[in-house]
Amino acid sequence: MRRPVPSEQRLILALGGGGFTMEPANPLLDDFVLSLVPRSEPRILFLPTASGDTTAQINAFLDRFAERNCVHEHLSLFRLREADRSLREIVLEQDIIYAGGGSMRNLLAIWRAHGLDSLLVEAWRRGTVLAGLSAGAMCWFDAGITRSSGPPEPIAGLGLLEGSLTVHADGEPERLPVWLTHVRDGTLPGGWALDDGVALLFRGLRLERAVSSRPGAGAQRVDAIAGELVRHRLPVALLGEEPRAGLAGDDDAVRELRRVRLLRQGFSGRRE
Amino acid sequence: MEKDSSVLDDYALSLAGSERPRVCFLPTASGDADHYVVRFYRRFSAGCEASHVSLFRRDQGTGGVEDNLATHLLEQDLIYVGGGNVVSMLGAWRAHGLDGILRKAWRRGIVLCGPSAGSLCWFDQALSAFHGAPRPIRGLGLLPYSNCVHYDAEPARREEYHRSVAEGMRGGFAVEDRVALHFSATKLARVVSSRVGAAAYRVELRPRGGVRETRLPAECLLERRPESPSRVLEEPPAAPPASAPAVGVAA
Repeated sequence: MRRPVPSEQRLILALGGGGFTMEPANPLLDDFVLSLVPRSEPRILFLPTASGDTTAQINAFLDRFAERNCVHEHLSLFRLREADRSLREIVLEQDIIYAGGGSMRNLLAIWRAHGLDSLLVEAWRRGTVLAGLSAGAMCWFDAGITRSSGPPEPIAGLGLLEGSLTVHADGEPERLPVWLTHVRDGTLPGGWALDDGVALLFRGLRLERAVSSRPGAGAQRVDAIAGELVRHRLPVALLGEEPRAGLAGDDDAVRELRRVRLLRQGFSGRRE
Repeated sequence: MEKDSSVLDDYALSLAGSERPRVCFLPTASGDADHYVVRFYRRFSAGCEASHVSLFRRDQGTGGVEDNLATHLLEQDLIYVGGGNVVSMLGAWRAHGLDGILRKAWRRGIVLCGPSAGSLCWFDQALSAFHGAPRPIRGLGLLPYSNCVHYDAEPARREEYHRSVAEGMRGGFAVEDRVALHFSATKLARVVSSRVGAAAYRVELRPRGGVRETRLPAECLLERRPESPSRVLEEPPAAPPASAPAVGVAA
């Protein structure tokens, strides 16, 4: 099992939407997740808890990762009988843990009921990359905006990252005004609003960069200063165009392979 | 919801005391699995006002049922809790305030029932063996006992339950598959079954140490059906005025 790593080696990738459950024909964000680990075959664990462990999400995960250079598995807390190791063993041996979308309230409640929340914090401290979309992205922050009970409302997260996050800013526009209202009146800390297809990469507690799988998708930082909202648009790098997509220094062969796969899967979202 | 027999479901319905009972299904322990919801409607929609509440799909607002969980659940005659993972279910319930709503429902006389996880949850303590070694968990505590299900189906279960009780878990009831415990308020009223020769067991600590197990033979609901098909329907045990029966079914 790994030892704790210094803060600057702790990575979290928070997706406002996108990845294998939302973009079956666009693997850019998922390939970016894999590229964050400097190993030829990273171990990646999918947590579909927020959806109630639907087979649809699990199948989408398999479709995406089964043929990529990784060792993949999923952990269904509703079908734990299938698991042959303790939760601790399963969680702490991963390079990447990827949380799916769904009900953030259920996600956190069920993680806590099984003690998974503290295992995930421990994994992060030991250098496992934490990734996820929607509920699976907001959960790492102090707070998010959930529709777990119907109408959008604030909800506390695990608090690994400071500030609040709201997701699907373009795809589910009813969340954003609720978030802005709460940031303005101080009931939520300032934070980020992400469109579908945009992901924020945090190194330790610091935002390192914003990347995207779709041209035109944006991200903004919002804070309340003296009761007024101050909004900044963040620069977002479109993936698939950069000379170096990842941080781990892929060799040319791996990059070439990913490029070929991209073309085969008919990705059509390239910027002119 | 046994695949080949509906007598336990019919028995639960008979306790609801209504011609066309309102029955709500909570499939939380399965992660709101679609196939389970379908099975529920197949079994119950003919004779009942059937509905279900999905705690994972509340953002999709299915037909207004979930706008107000409390109002909807407190209008039911019977609340049917599906099987699955009891730890996940209780976690999700508490997060949505369902634990308090179900307690209130029980006090108002709404019949609560369910198999497996849907049985364990009503007790103060339960033996959960969903993953790894069986371990004691806390239920909602409506019934001041412990509960152990699948007592015959999983051979290690008896030993584990006895050990747990010896080590401080409160005494309670172990139940074989296809056997249901019917509680009136917090008192065991009947033990019924959809299988001949099945039983439940009272398991408790002896005053001077050691565990005592008493076999409680189940009345088989199948056997009596041909000669007195409606006897159960005609003679439900009198429900006490203050609180209602909760049925724990292990199927």
